[in-house]
Amino acid sequence: MRIERFRRSCVALLSVSLISVGLQTPAAAGIVGTADAIAVVQQQNDLAVVRDALARADVREQMVTLGVDPAEVDGRLGALTAPELARLAGNIKEAPAGGDSALAILGIVFIVLLVLELTGTIDIFKKT
Amino acid sequence: MIRAALPTAALLVGLAGCVASPPLADGLPLRMPRALELRDTPFFPQKDYQCGPAALATVLGASGVQVQPDALAPQVFLPKRRGSLQAELIGAARRQGRLAYQLPGNGQALLAELAEGRPVLLLQNLGVKQIPRWHYAVLIGYDADRNVAVLRSGRHERQEMRWQRFARSWDRAGRWAMTTIAPGVIPAQAESARYLEATAGIESAGNREAAALSYDAAIARWPDEPMAWLGRGNVSYADGDRAAAADAYSRAASLAPGNAAARNNLAQVLAAAGCMAEARRQLERALTLATGTALASTIETTRAGIEAEGQSSAMQCAFPDRQWPD
Repeated sequence: MRIERFRRSCVALLSVSLISVGLQTPAAAGIVGTADAIAVVQQQNDLAVVRDALARADVREQMVTLGVDPAEVDGRLGALTAPELARLAGNIKEAPAGGDSALAILGIVFIVLLVLELTGTIDIFKKT
Repeated sequence: MIRAALPTAALLVGLAGCVASPPLADGLPLRMPRALELRDTPFFPQKDYQCGPAALATVLGASGVQVQPDALAPQVFLPKRRGSLQAELIGAARRQGRLAYQLPGNGQALLAELAEGRPVLLLQNLGVKQIPRWHYAVLIGYDADRNVAVLRSGRHERQEMRWQRFARSWDRAGRWAMTTIAPGVIPAQAESARYLEATAGIESAGNREAAALSYDAAIARWPDEPMAWLGRGNVSYADGDRAAAADAYSRAASLAPGNAAARNNLAQVLAAAGCMAEARRQLERALTLATGTALASTIETTRAGIEAEGQSSAMQCAFPDRQWPD
């Protein structure tokens, strides 16, 4: 939780200092991209402020750390808007990752719940 | 009206709380059939951890894009998280030429999409809040009399889930749901803001053709929506069509005189077309409007670019006798 907050602060601080770099992709020079314009209208200022270049570099690094083939990363990032990248930069390690391993996680959940049930902490297996 | 509103309200309330989820029949809008199933929806049994690619291939198939989960996995799967993120499913849908339309978090929105023939990709939490088990599945139908949701899910080609159980699993996952739609198609129930976010996304992904079709459809449906005109202008500008871009930005600025982005972009295309006096005037408006906002520095950059251009160019204004928004 603290690391998460620290990470968010870093992203926010760096983004403010890098704001003068300006948005280069995907909109042309001198043009405010539609996604950014919408973010500003919706007053997601903190997101719009996080400039593309920073968020892109941050997420790229984290994705490679999380095992994505470096050759695939740019294509994946290219499909996202600047506000989406900024959000991802802040939560890529915590955001829900739908994966549902057929048995492994289910087994763990079941055992944990069973232990909690037997120790009387919860009673979800009883019909109410 | 009231008769229709009551069940709807019941459905909304029901999905809001884990405690008192009502059966589907209590919340089914009167205009909806008692049972519905999109049987033609393709099925891709998932491999371990690959419910994201499988669910995405399912909805893409239903929207006319034939793609295998194995081809999508390199675009969405995060190996060390053993799963796929919502944002990346959205991005991958765009790469396949489809808009990722994110639905509002209420059951009625899911049903409305089914009624239009679109299966819904959604996130479930099959665990508990503290120990989540995230899972993507595709809602393809329901049966109010038997009180079930019908899903393509994991290795199950046809899974029936008691409606309340389904609604709670969706609620625990933040009620996230999306459909993939072909460019130019707008859901009957669509909200302009959601649709334009989806369109701005495919524009960001570099698919200008799809973005143009979608902005045109948005303009036909919501002619007074400034962001639809701004987006259309951005695509025209990227295509090199200055006259069309200037028209579209001008409409955006007329509809939303306080929108700094529309003024900035109008100034940029005017400068590119040699109309320096009007470009400077629009840019001044933009700067005043954007003072203290996230756009201020971008607009300063535009000004620097325009001034550098203005000193070297002796070009005639391409739109000499036009009126621009005040």
